[in-house]
Amino acid sequence: MKTKLIYLQPTPVRIWHWLNALGIVTLCISGAQIRFPEFISICGNYRSAILLHNTAGIVVALSFSFWFFYYKLVSGNLVDIYVPKVQELSNGLMKQIFFYFYAYFKGAASPFHATPENKFNPMQKSAYLAVMFVIVPLVSLTGIMLLNIGPLRQMLLVIGGLGVVATLHFLLACVLGAFLVTHVYLATLGSTPLAYFKPMWTGWEKVEHHHEHEPPHGAATDNVH
Amino acid sequence: MYADTQLLKKAVIAATVAAACGLTPGTVIAEGPGFAFGNSAAQNAACLKCHADLQKVGDGHQINGADYQHTTHAQFGCRTCHDNVPDSHPDGKNIARTTACVECHTDVAEQYTVSKHSLEAPDCGSCHNPHTAQKSGQVSALEMNAICTNCHNQIKIASTHAQWLPQTDLHLGAITCVTCHTKTEGFVLSIYIARKDIKGSASRPVIADYNYLSEKAAGKEIQELVDTNHDTYISLEELRRFSSNASNKDLYLKAILTPATTSHAFQTSDKSYNCTFCHASGPNATQISKLVLPEKNGSYRHVAIEGGGTLGSLNAIPDFYMMGSTRNTLLNKLGALILAGGLVMPAGHGFMRFLTRKNRKKE
Repeated sequence: MKTKLIYLQPTPVRIWHWLNALGIVTLCISGAQIRFPEFISICGNYRSAILLHNTAGIVVALSFSFWFFYYKLVSGNLVDIYVPKVQELSNGLMKQIFFYFYAYFKGAASPFHATPENKFNPMQKSAYLAVMFVIVPLVSLTGIMLLNIGPLRQMLLVIGGLGVVATLHFLLACVLGAFLVTHVYLATLGSTPLAYFKPMWTGWEKVEHHHEHEPPHGAATDNVH
Repeated sequence: MYADTQLLKKAVIAATVAAACGLTPGTVIAEGPGFAFGNSAAQNAACLKCHADLQKVGDGHQINGADYQHTTHAQFGCRTCHDNVPDSHPDGKNIARTTACVECHTDVAEQYTVSKHSLEAPDCGSCHNPHTAQKSGQVSALEMNAICTNCHNQIKIASTHAQWLPQTDLHLGAITCVTCHTKTEGFVLSIYIARKDIKGSASRPVIADYNYLSEKAAGKEIQELVDTNHDTYISLEELRRFSSNASNKDLYLKAILTPATTSHAFQTSDKSYNCTFCHASGPNATQISKLVLPEKNGSYRHVAIEGGGTLGSLNAIPDFYMMGSTRNTLLNKLGALILAGGLVMPAGHGFMRFLTRKNRKKE
């Protein structure tokens, strides 16, 4: 069985990913300290936690904007990469769920093979669709509102007040935190626990291929034989 | 508050004064202990006949009668402090005040004289006008701050605090100066009815005055705008109803953290720089809230609000949120449940993965 390297994650994508990862982890920790200062003091004093949270929040919000405009306007493949097609939802999604929750345990190969043009399996696409198009924008938006209470006071009152916005921010952050745990775990389901982490660091993924010719959608990435 | 002094005063109108004030010479207008409120109104009226008129007495001697008559000092009467008005008055000569503030306000003086503030402003009159001064509970939080900003430049206040205080403007609008800069122990969340339709700023909200609220109340007591069941007690539900009532769309509830009791022991204690003093201990330390309503005479009165709820409730005060303190236990549990949900899949899948690891051995 031959293996080959494919360039799956270009440098800007990797920088964006790790900047986001650092930002979101920082936001989770500092946010937890802001809400429960009696129990958590990882970021130093309360003021440090707030400044760190605000800074990380702005970085992640800018990073999100960059991601959106890059894929939408420069690359032009935002929908192709992140929005699952009807067929993927009706067929691929169930296959992928079946793989992760049954076939994987039997030692079967993943039914999906990532390529630079089609990076995510239907399950990933569905999750990222919710996270990147709903959760992250909303948590960023509510965070920006809380950062600008003075100028946005009237608008905040119209949508229910500070308590409602802060609650939404908190619950969405919890959802994002829950996703983060699952995301990291799923990233360990490659041929080795670090197999999916390496391409996000180096850009190159080692894939096994069984044929002389490329498979229609590129080489397999997560076969675990 | 007041020293137990029995100031025996007897004011007999002298001929010259009587002529100026339009009274009969020899009329006894104040008699008995100075703190007996007996004839103070008549006495004050006689004095104000001239002293309310700027043209008659000139700047520096004019008293605003409307403001003065609502002060506690007015109940004691002018002559409680000015008891040496000579027969020759008014003769153009200044009359020394014979009763010092400290004679009544002994505890305040004790607090104040040991503070650094007393070096810069040694006289009570530097901050307080005895002819307009009201009890701390009768003035609004913004009026309290206005006393400070008479001397302390607001731009400098903002820039000094901005060096260390995040969201400076919000803090300065939600806390009175004396909350942090005096030796106070307890705190109260004072809830004011503020106006949306007049653009203020985070640090300078516009509190609705009596006339405006009276018009809104349309003949009812202004308290009934919030206290709909007339029990002189504000429930969280009543606060919510007030905020969601479409006819109140020009108003909002503005919360300001005020001291439970005012102190003149001016100091900036370490707790003022410790954010978590308020942002963590809030649920325990700030359980008392009160609705502060303007009175017709320009003073304010308080109506009790359901204990503890202002911080714990989600939307009782839409404009108020104190991070770390305003947190709802139910929401915390919901958040924990969501996070636990995120752990279920990795934990369950990981366990199965461990049990079936032999199936994935490389051939």
